[in-house]
Amino acid sequence: MVKNPAKPKPMRIKRTPYERIEPYLFLLPALVIFAVFLYYPFARTIYLSTWVTDALGRPKKFVGLDNYTIRLFGKADFWASIVSTLKFVGVVALGGLLIGLITSLLTYNRYFGSGFCAAVYAMPVAIASAAASMAFRMIYHPTGGLLNNLFGTQINFLGGPNQFWAVAAVTIWLQSGINFIFISAGLKSVPAELYESCDIDGANYWQKLFHITFPTISPTLFFQIIINIINAFQSFSQVKLLTNESPNSSTNLIVYAIWHDAFRAQRFETAAARSVVLFLMILVITIIQFSFEKRSVNY
Amino acid sequence: MSQVKTMKHTGAQRKRRLKNTGNFLLNIPILLIILVPLIYTLSISLVDTDQVYKTLLLPHSIQFNNYVNAFTNPSYNFSRYILNSFIVSTSVMLCQMVTCSMAAFAFVFLEFKGKNILFMAVLATMMVPGEATIIANYLTVAGWGWTNSLHVLIVPYMTSAMGIFLLRQNYMTFPRELKEASTIDGCSNWRFLLQIAVPLSRPALGALGAYVFLNTWNQYMWPLLTTDSDTFRTVQVGISMLYDIDAQSMGLMMAGVIIVIVPSLSIFVFMNKQLINGLMAGAVKG
Repeated sequence: MVKNPAKPKPMRIKRTPYERIEPYLFLLPALVIFAVFLYYPFARTIYLSTWVTDALGRPKKFVGLDNYTIRLFGKADFWASIVSTLKFVGVVALGGLLIGLITSLLTYNRYFGSGFCAAVYAMPVAIASAAASMAFRMIYHPTGGLLNNLFGTQINFLGGPNQFWAVAAVTIWLQSGINFIFISAGLKSVPAELYESCDIDGANYWQKLFHITFPTISPTLFFQIIINIINAFQSFSQVKLLTNESPNSSTNLIVYAIWHDAFRAQRFETAAARSVVLFLMILVITIIQFSFEKRSVNY
Repeated sequence: MSQVKTMKHTGAQRKRRLKNTGNFLLNIPILLIILVPLIYTLSISLVDTDQVYKTLLLPHSIQFNNYVNAFTNPSYNFSRYILNSFIVSTSVMLCQMVTCSMAAFAFVFLEFKGKNILFMAVLATMMVPGEATIIANYLTVAGWGWTNSLHVLIVPYMTSAMGIFLLRQNYMTFPRELKEASTIDGCSNWRFLLQIAVPLSRPALGALGAYVFLNTWNQYMWPLLTTDSDTFRTVQVGISMLYDIDAQSMGLMMAGVIIVIVPSLSIFVFMNKQLINGLMAGAVKG
């Protein structure tokens, strides 16, 4: 019998100086970009939000939290903007979810034309919000647009209280593709056996939908609501382009307000403070998402 | 006999066809909601000027003046916008492929101090919405005198946490022995990355590429802030600068929308699988 050769001791290879820094070289390009265009501007935003700045965004006078307490929280239009943003986010999140759910249920089974429908439902993911906004400007046109021509009306969709719904509808249209893609994937992951056992019990379509499908895909639906919320918070081009840079208080959404503060009012300090508010609102949503996901994997 | 067979078939077939048709008909309302805006935009871009405000959905007459104008009239520099957007989107895409491959490689295959902290630092960038830092970024690049250039549109987007994450997930599926064996064979890390890891990650790189190109092509806010000269304008800002004061400019505007949507839709059609994989990875960020 041949004796097993002694297992060689794991060698402690002394690494050359180059080998020690090599991993950081691989990371360097990414980290430099992150440092300059993410961490630094993040810190700078917080810093600027505590100063009064000049028209070029240079800090002139330290004011502590005055930009928040006096120039934002003390103003009624700040709260109007926050309320509008939250309302908008809620409408878009639920509207997107609903259209995504309907479209994915409609294309769940295969039949003639189902592939075509699925492709159309996913398509809005490819379309830019700016391009879509320009197209909808024509559709909403008060005298000769598609909607008014169809109904024989002369409604000003982009003015008054209609404006909110007009902008929300375009945003839901833009979001419908991503909602369809994710909810569709969620539906396909429901094990077929669950439905089969229901069929044996003689359950109808709606019973299966409410007792099997919805409970099983609820994590997908929750995740999709979060995505919708985060995307809706970031809406900008549809507000600027559909309202022609003059939103009323119902469409003065937070990112538009940030842009307006900085580039129309030359108030970089309130733009910065508002940016911090936006960050905090999205942070809250992210924390809710994380805590939910943690809970849902702990059986 | 053959008659019996046919009759039997038609019964079942008709039932199936009926169910098929019924299923398809249910789709029509939402199909219309998605498709009509696009068909209408195309129609308006093609009709005669006097038909712009009268068109219901399909054009009565067709002319291509708006498209000819968009490309030949010197006041609308569409070819320039397309070229700019194409250069920017391609550069951002290629840069992200390089920087994200390198970073993901280090996170998966190399051991070094601070690895976990650095990875957390990368993931943390996903929690900051771009719009929250856009003002400070604008001040930075304006301070450098970078506004009105193409690099101002490229450099800030040369990497992304989403890309690093996507490629990291991909590298983690490689068998461990692959790297060990190549190291024993004297293959350097750079060579492993270039000659083994990258060729094996073509699907993931395709997903990243399709997603990043499309996102950059569709970008609006950053180019709006950082470029105001016609020379460096990108497509999305270009079409949004068109006015809708009269029927003629409306037609041109709709032609512009169609022109910028065609490349987006081409990616959607021809790289559908990659794009959707990229979107799925990208949505982790939201």
